[in-house]
Amino acid sequence: MCATYYMSNGSQNSSELFENLKLELRRGCLTLAVLTQLRTERYGYTLRKALADDGLEIDEGTLYPLLRRLESQGLLVSQWREEDKRNKRFYRLSPGGEQILEQLLNEWQSINASLNRIMQEV
Amino acid sequence: MDLLKSYLGAVKRNLPRKQRNDILAELSEELRSQMEDRERDLGRRLTDAEQYAVLMQHGDPMVVARRYWLERSRSLALGWELIGPELFPAYTFVLLLNLTITVATIPVALWIYHVPITLRPFLLPIAIQIACVTAVFTLLNGIRRKFPVNWMYAPAELASVAPLQRWYSVSGLVACGALTLWWLALPRFQFLVLGSAAGEVRLSSQWHRYYVPVLLLFLAGMAQRAASVARPQWNWLLPTSRFLIDGIAAVLMFFFPLHPLVIVSQAVANPAHAEKLAATANNLLRWGLFGPWLWIYLGASSLVYAWYCRPHIRRFLQSRRNRIRTVHELNGVI
Repeated sequence: MCATYYMSNGSQNSSELFENLKLELRRGCLTLAVLTQLRTERYGYTLRKALADDGLEIDEGTLYPLLRRLESQGLLVSQWREEDKRNKRFYRLSPGGEQILEQLLNEWQSINASLNRIMQEV
Repeated sequence: MDLLKSYLGAVKRNLPRKQRNDILAELSEELRSQMEDRERDLGRRLTDAEQYAVLMQHGDPMVVARRYWLERSRSLALGWELIGPELFPAYTFVLLLNLTITVATIPVALWIYHVPITLRPFLLPIAIQIACVTAVFTLLNGIRRKFPVNWMYAPAELASVAPLQRWYSVSGLVACGALTLWWLALPRFQFLVLGSAAGEVRLSSQWHRYYVPVLLLFLAGMAQRAASVARPQWNWLLPTSRFLIDGIAAVLMFFFPLHPLVIVSQAVANPAHAEKLAATANNLLRWGLFGPWLWIYLGASSLVYAWYCRPHIRRFLQSRRNRIRTVHELNGVI
């Protein structure tokens, strides 16, 4: 019984640990994906759909605060504009954001290449 | 779009003040787009239940709003988390509201009962408020962490379309049942309220006057919870019955402690000691168990439920108007 308890408890902890690590991993990737998508101007809903179409689901409760944070950091600029008789807030990369994105993408590619090499060695 | 408006209203309450309207406009646009997409897929307008599902998926208004607070996330912890950042604003709001009401009403109650205004009558109610509100929010936080749900308290408009959860009615039925049993046992087992003083003092005739009305209220509360267990889709039953029950109970509990609740028993060995005991018991009951906090709480609860009755009344009137219009149209056709 003790062993069963220990195992069930252990597996719960490992799944929690996995979820936390996955969250950490996703956090940086999402920022990168959002910045990359916003090289073209989009509003929140279409951005979310574009990300989902590319296989990166992001819920609106995460996306909108992230957009605000990136805007307050000067990486994005936004503008309210009417489309289909409704006011929508359009986002796009700022000139500063474009520079940072370029650096981030280089960094991402170098990390990715390193990881691939490490995994091949293993 | 009443539901969407109500949902956005609930989110708005917890948003950072400066960005409130901007965030809300964007959120509204997102949710409208989602609903329109669903409508396009289905080829018809969304029902209330379908709109509710979209909002449910979007998440608890409080949690959604808290995500926009970039730095200012406060919580209460004593070594471990007691009240998390999602509930902390509601905790401070409820606590401040309760304390304000308590501090404002105690002098009025003291004046009504002809008791001189001193610091002492304030201390116990304030300590009770802080302890109770903290304990309730700690419990809610624990439940929230253990069983993450989309949201805990739906705003009035949304609650009116959601079926009542059975566990909520069952736990209410158990708690209300225990209180009813306590009340039923009181005339025979007076120690349940008087403790060890039950031999020397006894309950006054004031209890006889209020006994049956209070018992009827307990039974009505149990009947509502039992009906809600059997018919969770009768979501109008909870707010309407609680509005009435809590409202009547608030009036009863205001008048109940106006006269002595405890008197000296007949043929006691030491009448002077018994008199003193009766006075102490009366004070404890008047300022503790049946103190002003009780009718204030019941009155406030009745008002909250009255607010939750609003969408049900509106829906009822709307359906009646639609029915009358349909009859007129049919008469015109025939």
